Amino acid sequence: MKRTVGVGAMTILLCTGCSSMGVEPWERDVLAKQEMQLTTDEIEAATDDHIYFSKEASSGGRGFGGGGCGCN
Amino acid sequence: MRPLLPKKAILMIWAFALCPIAWSETPPGEDLDLADYTGKVVVVDFWASWCVPCRRSFPWLNSMNDRYAKDGLVIIGINVDRERESAAEFLQDFPADFEIRYDKNGVLAKRFDVQGMPSSFVIGRDGQTRARHLGFKVRRQDEYEAAIIAALQQEVAE
Amino acid sequence: MSQKETHSISVALAAATCTLLGSGISATVDAQEEPAWDFNTSLLYYGEDGDRVKDFSVSAIARRMFIDDRYLTLGLTIDGLTGATPSGAIRQDVAQTFTRPSGNAAYSVAAGVLPLDDTFKDTRLALTAGWQQPVGDTSQVSVGASASKEYDYLHLGVNAKFARDFNQRNTTVSAGIALSMDSLDPVGGAPAPFSPMLDVGDTSNRLGDQDKDVLDIVLGVSQVISRDLVVQANYSYSKSDGYLTDPYKVLSLVDGTSGDTLLRSIAPGVDGPSHQFLFESRPGERTKHSIFGQAKYYMNGKVLDASYRYMSDDWEIDSHTVDLRYRIPFGANRYLEPHLRFYTQTDAEFYRLSIPDSLPLPGHASADYRLGNFDAITAGLKYGWRTRNDNEMSVRIEGYRQTGSVPADQLIGNQVSRDNFPDLNAIIVQFGYRF
Repeated sequence: MKRTVGVGAMTILLCTGCSSMGVEPWERDVLAKQEMQLTTDEIEAATDDHIYFSKEASSGGRGFGGGGCGCN
Repeated sequence: MRPLLPKKAILMIWAFALCPIAWSETPPGEDLDLADYTGKVVVVDFWASWCVPCRRSFPWLNSMNDRYAKDGLVIIGINVDRERESAAEFLQDFPADFEIRYDKNGVLAKRFDVQGMPSSFVIGRDGQTRARHLGFKVRRQDEYEAAIIAALQQEVAE
Repeated sequence: MSQKETHSISVALAAATCTLLGSGISATVDAQEEPAWDFNTSLLYYGEDGDRVKDFSVSAIARRMFIDDRYLTLGLTIDGLTGATPSGAIRQDVAQTFTRPSGNAAYSVAAGVLPLDDTFKDTRLALTAGWQQPVGDTSQVSVGASASKEYDYLHLGVNAKFARDFNQRNTTVSAGIALSMDSLDPVGGAPAPFSPMLDVGDTSNRLGDQDKDVLDIVLGVSQVISRDLVVQANYSYSKSDGYLTDPYKVLSLVDGTSGDTLLRSIAPGVDGPSHQFLFESRPGERTKHSIFGQAKYYMNGKVLDASYRYMSDDWEIDSHTVDLRYRIPFGANRYLEPHLRFYTQTDAEFYRLSIPDSLPLPGHASADYRLGNFDAITAGLKYGWRTRNDNEMSVRIEGYRQTGSVPADQLIGNQVSRDNFPDLNAIIVQFGYRF
């Protein structure tokens, strides 16, 4: 379990160091598309989460903000 | 940021080199020479069909145009869509009473150092950038308008 | 607690976190006058094979945008559940009789048949509410609440999340927390752990209402890699405290040599269990850690969504989940999306097929197949299209199959030759309509 925490923390830290990666603000046309959001359909995601929570021993773990058009 | 007119060409070459897509595309889109607008206040507004707040900024830009065009305000909407068709669809739903130019390779966006979408630059009668706005918030419309009025009231120094 | 373990942390978090999609929420390329309310609705059918669980569910999420990217989200789900579920007792070569969880009646299972308890006809109502707004120029905050009620289970929860953008919104760091306070009032009363299944009408082994609290924390970062690729990574921590046992599940008490369930003597004129069964017992707390990674990659109109999750907890369950979706557009208005999901988990430390009478009683034990050792695969196809009035409809059909096994060192005598792990086959059909 400590390994999980360690790997998780490392992944997050590594990504915050990615300041040179990404696109210009005017290049977000693809990222703004509905199908490119990290969660495309919130009901489908919630449904799956509920089904698998009821039938398996693991649950959740997904889904947060980011990506998208980056406007405002 | 100052639009660096004399170094315009060098900047464009840099922008061209930095923009990987430019290598495989036809030459960059329409250029913008602010010298054409000396004596006028120019609002340069970068927009895109995929930019949701732009649906709110367009009606406001139209009303600014209505109100202040006679005082010397020129609004130029610069579209950064990759496909002209996407821009056309947006303009059908949100028509613009102001001039639209196309910058699909982001050359002008790079030159103006656009930090986010949408972005608006108020350029005074002397060609200097007087204000910039990142994003479009309905509640800050008065603030945006005040910047335009201030630019319009500026005396042009000879 | 109902068979389905209505949780709702995951639903609450999913709903709350899904409201935090940044400004990309309604950024469809064909711009229109934004309607005041957006609705996402669905009809779902979930059906396991044979006499097992069937679920019908209606869901709706309504979202309203207020000035300058502030959103109110309201969600509603109604579920109707029927069908039977494995009780945890093992199959025998003779018929078996069990007392129902209510204690009011008995039911029988034929020889050679896996004992299923079909008491579960239940309706569940779940509600969520959330508010999201920008904070300054680069951050967002959201808060929400959730509640759900079914016959024997009540869930109440609150959640909050904060997200901050960096690097011209190419990087987003988020932190979320959810607290759940659940209470169970099982049909007939929660049985004391490891107490025997008693005759019909005998509820002397029952306890009162039970509580369960859950704390969830999620830390995440998402990163735009290129114009066509966005990735995210999360770490989740979950701590549950309280009554984590399933009050309806039992274990068969078996002979230490033959592995057959011990018979039970019943007084004449009395209905009750034919064999000896003990109610299960799980620990009073559970700590889970998960790491999750996802990538969405745009390839000339097609979108690949690939994700991986690793979960490990202090019940000694480890799981891996790989989820793949590939969206293929047809023209401007339709798409097909095949879906494949692979899942595997190891059994809980206290998972037992049965309790042999030759050994001392373990600290905890459960025969619930959901804590066992199994692999699962989901394969499905989704078809979506834009309607004439520019709304979106979709339908998806998926098959879900679980195959598991009991660790060989737990099998005794006659159990070795039997089919012990209740495999699961289910079909999922969902219609969606967004307007």
